Amino acid sequence: MRRPGPRPGAWLFAVLLAGASGAATTADLYVVCNANVALQSSDVRDVFIGEKSFAGSARLAPADNLAAQAIFLQRVVKVGIDRYTSLWTKKSFRDGANPPPVKASDAETIAYVRQTPGACSYVQAPPPAGVNVVAKF
Amino acid sequence: MARTMTNFKRCRRCAGVLLAVAIAVLPTAALGAAARPDPAIAAMQKKLDQSLELIQALTERVRELEAKQAAATASAPPAAPATAAPPATTPVAQPAAAAQVAVDNARLEADEQKLEQLEKANASRSADETGLPLHGFADVGIGTHNPINADLKGAYVGNLDFYLAPRLGDHTRALFEMNTEVGSDGAVGVDLERAQIGYQFNDRATVWLGRFHTPYGYVNTALHHGSWINNSLRRPKFLQFEDNGGIVPAHSVGLWLTGSTHTGGGKFLYDAYVGNSQAIIGGALDQRNAGNSDGHIGGGVRLAYQLTGGAAEGLLLGLHAFSARIGDDALPAHVTRVLAYGGYAVYDTDAWENIAEIYLFDDRDLYGGTGTHNSRAGFLQFGYRAAWGVPYARYERTLLEQSDPYFAALAGGGSYHRVALGARFDLDLKSAIKLELASTRLTDRTLEQYGEGLVQYAIRF
Repeated sequence: MRRPGPRPGAWLFAVLLAGASGAATTADLYVVCNANVALQSSDVRDVFIGEKSFAGSARLAPADNLAAQAIFLQRVVKVGIDRYTSLWTKKSFRDGANPPPVKASDAETIAYVRQTPGACSYVQAPPPAGVNVVAKF
Repeated sequence: MARTMTNFKRCRRCAGVLLAVAIAVLPTAALGAAARPDPAIAAMQKKLDQSLELIQALTERVRELEAKQAAATASAPPAAPATAAPPATTPVAQPAAAAQVAVDNARLEADEQKLEQLEKANASRSADETGLPLHGFADVGIGTHNPINADLKGAYVGNLDFYLAPRLGDHTRALFEMNTEVGSDGAVGVDLERAQIGYQFNDRATVWLGRFHTPYGYVNTALHHGSWINNSLRRPKFLQFEDNGGIVPAHSVGLWLTGSTHTGGGKFLYDAYVGNSQAIIGGALDQRNAGNSDGHIGGGVRLAYQLTGGAAEGLLLGLHAFSARIGDDALPAHVTRVLAYGGYAVYDTDAWENIAEIYLFDDRDLYGGTGTHNSRAGFLQFGYRAAWGVPYARYERTLLEQSDPYFAALAGGGSYHRVALGARFDLDLKSAIKLELASTRLTDRTLEQYGEGLVQYAIRF
């Protein structure tokens, strides 16, 4: 007879996932988009600095993932958070564009990308089915 | 029984995954809340807490079902071979237990759907649903002279600038900017600096209608109002805003087509606009927000190429030109066909912010018969983004022909040169202190030289 409560495997998975989402700095970074978005990996930087707003006829809706933002800015946008903030402040004031909303975690990011047409973001954990992985850094 | 066991396994698996996600989400959510104490984050945290409560309820429910399953297993005979006939014992209790399990499963599915809806609600939450974000800038300062009006000294209130950029749809865009500023007489004035609504066809073309920043050079569109945006303490004197002595129309009211496209190792940018010809009222350029009485229009173009890769990444080279038929309010009135053209270069990287702009004027006097007048203006600025701040140096020079009725009618139409050294110190992501030492020499209307020591505290919000 099994003892009640979650299996040890579930706890192990939870601990591993928590570690991966909270502290990993050398893990892969996956750029994911809504299933209706076809995007080239070379366009990712432009999307997140507001220089690319459309993928075909689809209006892009990028979102930052706070849990992985520092790594994303370092690897993909190649600027620090100060410069990134400054870029968006200037962009917003100049062109009326709005900076990407900020999601708190991989889980929230995946949910946003799944549900929002045109959405693109990035996660550290291997993304589940239902999103389009456009690049891996 | 086999189906029941499958359901139980599914529930257990579901609870395990939910717990895993919850544990994974908690530290990052807490990190986010600590890093950015934002009401939206707090609302999200509340919803996460609700999710956790739901997960806890699901877990309890799974335990309850497992306990029931264990009891049912204990009262049932040992498992028979798959081919054996169903056991005849507990013929009444087993269907009852199965019915209870079906009810529990239905309840669990309802809970799962609720959780999914919660997830969707969190995911779809955006600025559209949390109100219209209001952004802005403000600055105050103190100095041996007012940075705009050198006749004034001491502390001063700068600008309080608000702007709105509502999300309206996939293609429609809007931008509104209201600026509150203190004039030389100390009176507070409110200007509708920008009121533009546009349609974005794609990344290559957007058309705006309304009042916008006139697209020439780099500073006028990239570093407009909002002192915080600018690394230097103030704009070049001749590029000041119309009511602060500027000699080029900083705003236009009309139609503006703008866009960019990637080509080769860079990006081609273009702007073209037509709008109401400005007028000079009380020594300052007026944009004729409501239209002008003579129906004259002005217009201009700006073309640029920006390198987006390679050793020269961050270099932007451009050309600009504009023309307008501008009259003044003198008696008798003068009317000038203003033609200005020139170029600009910007090197903007993580380390450098270097800007150069030049303007050449070929203005034709349409009423006075004094012919065509040639003038020129320009500036050169070097800035370096060091770890401790952004030191900069700037040289400005104008040579404006005073027989040109256009410059003669402008309060800021005199020639000068200025050397400035300054630095910007960012206190945090939203505030900066800037210092500037400058020496200005007026070279035609009056022959005067003065030095300035200026301090500015600028914020964004």
